[in-house]
Amino acid sequence: MTEKGRRRWRLELLAVGLLWGLMAPLPAHAQCDDRGSFGSVYAEAWGIDKRNTRYQPQSSLNSVNAERLALKWVYGLATETPRFYPLVTEDTIVIGDSGRGLVALDRESGCERWLFPHDGEIASAILHSRVKGRDLLIFNDRTAGVFAVDAGTGTALWHAKVSQEPLPWYSGSPVVVGNLVYVPVSSMEVALAVNPLYGCCVTSGGLAAFDLASGAALWYLPTIRQPAKQTGRHFLFVEKHGPSGASVWAAPAYDAERGQLYFGTGQNFSHPTTGTSDALFAVRAQSGEVAWVRQFTANDAYTAACNIAALNHPNCPDPMGPDVDFGAPVVLTRTLSGKPLLLAGQKSAEVHAVDPDSGERVWTRKLGRGGIIGGVHWGLAVNERQGLVFVPVSDKALLGFPSPGEPAPGLYALDTETGAVRWSYTRESRCSDRECVFGLSAAAVAANDIVVTGSMDGYLMVHQATSGALLWEHDAWREYSAVNGVSTRGGAFDAHGAMLADDLLMVTAGYRYVGQQRAGNAFLLFQVQPAHD
Amino acid sequence: MIDGQVLAGRWRRLGATAVDAVLVPGLTVFLVMAFEVMEDPEDFTSAWWMWWVLVLAVASYLILNGHGLARRGQTLGKRLFGIAVVRAHTLEPAPFWKLVCVRALFFPLLFAVIYPPLIVLPLLDLLPILGKSRRCLHDRAAGTSVVRVTAMNRKDHE
Repeated sequence: MTEKGRRRWRLELLAVGLLWGLMAPLPAHAQCDDRGSFGSVYAEAWGIDKRNTRYQPQSSLNSVNAERLALKWVYGLATETPRFYPLVTEDTIVIGDSGRGLVALDRESGCERWLFPHDGEIASAILHSRVKGRDLLIFNDRTAGVFAVDAGTGTALWHAKVSQEPLPWYSGSPVVVGNLVYVPVSSMEVALAVNPLYGCCVTSGGLAAFDLASGAALWYLPTIRQPAKQTGRHFLFVEKHGPSGASVWAAPAYDAERGQLYFGTGQNFSHPTTGTSDALFAVRAQSGEVAWVRQFTANDAYTAACNIAALNHPNCPDPMGPDVDFGAPVVLTRTLSGKPLLLAGQKSAEVHAVDPDSGERVWTRKLGRGGIIGGVHWGLAVNERQGLVFVPVSDKALLGFPSPGEPAPGLYALDTETGAVRWSYTRESRCSDRECVFGLSAAAVAANDIVVTGSMDGYLMVHQATSGALLWEHDAWREYSAVNGVSTRGGAFDAHGAMLADDLLMVTAGYRYVGQQRAGNAFLLFQVQPAHD
Repeated sequence: MIDGQVLAGRWRRLGATAVDAVLVPGLTVFLVMAFEVMEDPEDFTSAWWMWWVLVLAVASYLILNGHGLARRGQTLGKRLFGIAVVRAHTLEPAPFWKLVCVRALFFPLLFAVIYPPLIVLPLLDLLPILGKSRRCLHDRAAGTSVVRVTAMNRKDHE
């Protein structure tokens, strides 16, 4: 073969190679044959039950078999800050993949059963309800509102939003009770205030009720009733307003015995402050009438503008408060002596026990220094048979925001009767990286004699409920091979935390929203492996 | 030097740009506040506020520089630093529409049209200033050069 011929032969080979590369199939994306079923559902609300105990009675995970947990499959998400809490049925796991939509996965293999396309950020627990023989899936889009989807046909049934507030955020999970869907409402203003040309602030948090079958708005309870008025100006033109804020960031707890809902509120965004910020509300579930309100931190006014403290930002309230919301859902429980109690974790790192009839404080326990991402951030878990409440504490400092006091991140178990600390677990941060600090921001979940938490430095942990002993852990600071072929990496554990069902443990790894933790797009599913005799 | 004209020095051009980069956004911010474009929550229920900011930015540019560009090929910054924009080859005053619609919009258009990670393109726009003719890409697009305003050619511009 001549030199020219050889060159031509090489060029042809290269062209064929390129063509082959272009025609090669994309990473395998397994599709399942059937749509799955909704015969039994493993959680009725964000809190597993509607009282928000986060105790999973349908889990076989315990202190004996926890060491046999092994990764079964991984699904690669489209988002690097997942904020959904999955719905599990006997054969299906429904997840909210922001930017793609609701995705139903086969429990066994992780293959995709169906996709309900949705562009927005799915930011809540995915709930199931049955109306006229139809399986409804309900979820929040963080900015667009509440959506109901027919799980059988994959069609949208209704979309509802709050009309009383101009910039609502739907950050907290809804809860379905009877024919009503209750939706907590916060406000985008807390972040918008970073813009110095914005006239902070006029909106209120609230709780909205919608009809389950149609999505029709039934009532709306603002947490601040008085309308905001002009309180001053900055930069000559920009008008300041108040009162504002008192957002409701989390799923309400339902009390079937008293017919009440309980939820906590966040701080005010501007002065004057109100008696309803950083407070607990008890509300009649049918009418939205307020039964009682109990404030725990007065005069707490803060916006995200305060994080730029060096600039003396005009939208940071003066005086500025500590920003110690009730970001975690309130829990309705019963102590070992049978006394009904509300437990509320605050970003101040305090846990309060409150009488559900009167709102009177029974006990308060402070566990750390607190901070703007907790203290207690996303949620508690309760084991009622042991009389213990498990409290994850973040105590992460945020750059540019004062965090006085010594941090005490970790997991704490308190006696629900007295608030006494039964045990605590903490450890050193695993590295010195800014985004890599130990601390528990994600909500905890409990079952049998274990409690599951995830740390911001990327460890998923199973503890013994009676001693706090670490039984098993998984390091998610790594790359994964995903069943859907998507490039997948883990990161910080945050937000809603883990879900348990039978011998399965599932959780999202990666989160970089507030606090700038390490992002990731992994949905991990672990299974207890059979014991070897 | 081209045809007896002294090309504007790079530092002068940088100084003039710096002055304009303070004055135009400054007036834009003032107008945004005066017209309450982003003061209320309702302003953020759609993306219209961004268009209003853009309109006010263009208005600010014209208020501050329109007259000077039309009469002398000078923004306020260029006047302060004694330089002016002229047609590249004839050295006559550049047409107003080209100064505003091509030359001045070249930067924002790059930002608006092109995907953000390609922010490097404005740097490419500036790079040719290091060449002999000291013409950035926006000069080439508009067919202009920037020259020193001397006593000799001041008459041509006024």
